[in-house]
Amino acid sequence: MISLREMAPLKSLEREFAIIDSNFQQFCASHGLFSVGDFLIQDLCVLVALAEQHPTSERLKEGITQVLSIIDSQHQPWFNGMDLLEDAQQNKHILSTGCERIDMFLQGGLREGHVTELVGPSSSYKTQVCLQVASNVAKMGGVVFLDTGNSFSPKRIAQFLISDPAGKESDRKIIQKVLASIVCFSVFDIFTLLDVLHQLKSNLKYQTCGQVRLLIVDSISSLITPVLGGSGSHGHALMISAGSFLKRLAHEHNLAVLVTNHMVGGEGGVLKPALGESWKSIPHVRLQLSREHGSNLCSMCILTHPYMGSGKAVKFSIS
Amino acid sequence: MMEEEEQVEGWIEEEESAKEMLERVLRTRPFLLVPPLHRIPLRLGNVVEVVGPSPSAKTQILIQAAVSCILPKEWNGVNYGGLEHLVIFFDLDCRFDILRLSQSLKRRILEANGLRANPNSDEGDADAFNCNPKKETQVEQDKELFAACMRRFLYVRCYDSSEFLAALKTLHYQHQKQRDTHGVDVDLLMIDSIGAFYWIDRASTSLAVMSNDRKSRSFQSVVESIVQEIRKLLLMHPMLVLATKAASLGDKYSINEAKRNSRKWSSENVLDLRTVKSGPQTLPYREYMPSIWQSFVTHRVLIRASDEDSKHHNCPTYLSEWLLPSLDLQDKFIVTDAGVYTIS
Repeated sequence: MISLREMAPLKSLEREFAIIDSNFQQFCASHGLFSVGDFLIQDLCVLVALAEQHPTSERLKEGITQVLSIIDSQHQPWFNGMDLLEDAQQNKHILSTGCERIDMFLQGGLREGHVTELVGPSSSYKTQVCLQVASNVAKMGGVVFLDTGNSFSPKRIAQFLISDPAGKESDRKIIQKVLASIVCFSVFDIFTLLDVLHQLKSNLKYQTCGQVRLLIVDSISSLITPVLGGSGSHGHALMISAGSFLKRLAHEHNLAVLVTNHMVGGEGGVLKPALGESWKSIPHVRLQLSREHGSNLCSMCILTHPYMGSGKAVKFSIS
Repeated sequence: MMEEEEQVEGWIEEEESAKEMLERVLRTRPFLLVPPLHRIPLRLGNVVEVVGPSPSAKTQILIQAAVSCILPKEWNGVNYGGLEHLVIFFDLDCRFDILRLSQSLKRRILEANGLRANPNSDEGDADAFNCNPKKETQVEQDKELFAACMRRFLYVRCYDSSEFLAALKTLHYQHQKQRDTHGVDVDLLMIDSIGAFYWIDRASTSLAVMSNDRKSRSFQSVVESIVQEIRKLLLMHPMLVLATKAASLGDKYSINEAKRNSRKWSSENVLDLRTVKSGPQTLPYREYMPSIWQSFVTHRVLIRASDEDSKHHNCPTYLSEWLLPSLDLQDKFIVTDAGVYTIS
């Protein structure tokens, strides 16, 4: 979580900033300050007052000002509402899911920049929706599919693309093109997930993997639930880190992120999401799926959405 | 004007009744009329915590308060009832959506213009202004007003507590720069949500056992610094602080623990009420912010989705209850694009 720059000792800044000299470092060390990060939890007014008691107070105060300007470069930039709106309108497009009813329901589909969660019991079509969206988005851009339970199926993708199994030559070309746009990784634990996400981020940064539009993690809950539980907070910290990283990827690289969350039996046998209360602060959009018994009719209900009321629902079927 | 002078004199001569004073204070702080904040006369320097489980419309309340703050009081002869001040928004949850703010702002502008808002404007809001049959100059003026309001909304995203602290520590300069650019003050400082880094900072606390003389960074020390920085800022630039906090209400915690917690809280904070009366049962919420934050908070309102399935015009309903100061009344409200409305 802590950037290298922040952890870097003051000494390493000496070459770049002459004012952070050995005298300044000594002064800081005597007050327990060894890195820029240490300054973050230091009351700088108090530090300035302490510096004033020194014979070299002017230089020391200049040094503090220098550190403060380094700190100023360590947060995200400020934007006003017009900047944000421009970014949203130019860079955050809406991706069609390939299912007309879902698109109508979600005002067009999945929005780039958003993390969307599908929550539902087993066989409520979570994976089917993921595969459907993947097959549709892959027609126009790259898709990264992180598969935690061997649920990815090229055959199923092909079925979404072509209704006639006889298969014409042109159909085969479409299937090939779509499958070539989908990169699938098997991920079986959260540490691998974090590795893959970091790798993806650096690939996106250097544009080595084409124009990726969609990232799917099916299912994220199966990676996180094994590390939750117990009395420690590390499991939760890993969960929030992964979620926060997904939001960052979505925003900075204009990806739509789609994750699934399975359901487990709670108190009194009532099903509840495997990732519960603390996870709720992660996704922009939470959609609950449920399937009518014995049919392929499925319903989708909004639990959370930035600009649509919760509780709205739609029925759809996937063939 | 005369009337106002008389009122001031009346106040100096201590002839103002509590009722009159309340009316005066409420009138001078129109933005706080956003439910459920309308119940309490808030002033600059107050720190209001909006606590509730997700989803409970916490961010929506911030957005509606922000819209009221960035809108002008009056513009081109139309009364918009805003404050024409700046809003600073710290997004710690990193899931703020500007489209929600822009939709609400457009809706409010159109409403104040006395024109019926376009019924389709909640779908693809980009052309909401153009859909109305009115003169081109009016459209241009609306766009100009919209842009001016949007520029009064200042936003920073923080992915971890270091970024939050870095932004807070240098906010003073940012604040002055923006005030000089816009020529108006910052009235509202919003934090959504204050507990976002709880788990990560708590976990790194136990990892941060390094050399002895090094300042160890813990959730506790991070929150201490946050409070310290905001406190210093408020001394220099009085603002109203609105912070949301996610909390689970809950079935997960046994009643015994809840009781123990509420006893602990009451001894720490001289506050009796940390439970919500909801008919026969009491719903406690689990407090996780350090006491330094809790004592920094001057007002606290609890919000949750209504248990009842009853929906008001297809909008989910929410309940609010003031915990600090504790008021023995519950507001029921709905959130739409056009604002937050109490319903009886």
